[in-house]
Amino acid sequence: MVPPPALAASADRQALVPMVAGYLILMAALAFGLWRMYRPGAKPRISRPLAGQGAARPGAGPAVASPEAGQADGPPPGAQPPAAPPAGRARSGRAMMARMVISTVAGGYVLLMATVVAYYYGVARVAGNFLESAVTGPLLLVGLTTPLYAAASWLTERRWRHRPGRPGSMGHRPE
Amino acid sequence: MARHPLIGYLIWAVLFGAIFAWEGLGLAQVTGVPTLSDTFRVIMRYPFGRWALFALWLWLGWHFFIRGWHFLLRA
Repeated sequence: MVPPPALAASADRQALVPMVAGYLILMAALAFGLWRMYRPGAKPRISRPLAGQGAARPGAGPAVASPEAGQADGPPPGAQPPAAPPAGRARSGRAMMARMVISTVAGGYVLLMATVVAYYYGVARVAGNFLESAVTGPLLLVGLTTPLYAAASWLTERRWRHRPGRPGSMGHRPE
Repeated sequence: MARHPLIGYLIWAVLFGAIFAWEGLGLAQVTGVPTLSDTFRVIMRYPFGRWALFALWLWLGWHFFIRGWHFLLRA
């Protein structure tokens, strides 16, 4: 059965408006990121490969990284080696990672909530308990996954520390 | 289940196909084509990029696993 034209047009608009709104929000966020990267006053940055990765592949995008990138490539010639003991460095590494995870989780959650609330009040009043589900659903996901991620990270680090052949591990034999 | 015109599904198929084709070119090391990993790496260098990706991940998880989900034994 063919729906009446007025009903079909209304349904089309209902589907189109949220899609266009979502697209515009996403594009605005990407444009903001690009503007921050390439704005005239932005400092030129150097690419920092992650652990276990080689140099950036040609054509893999602009070489951009954080200001502390130079530290990852080792100290400059003539500089004193870091005085922190390995245990202290591991602790500070864990604290840094925890800080980054917490800031990412909190920032991502707040950004999603802001987008959902703006979408609900500005674009389409979705029926049902949309807002309540938007607040509690991602919280449930965060509550489930964050402990798992922390446990997996801890196990990975522990396995790496006790790897045979690594200096300081029980299975290591000095030559 | 709602029925939609075929063209709507075809457009989704073309969009996903284009993503995989672009990723394939990137993995084949064609000059100037970054892979999805390269792209995410660039985005994740910045706090706002990490927040946006995490928000996207939460949104996907919320839609796939939580919205419309009911307890199995609920009457």
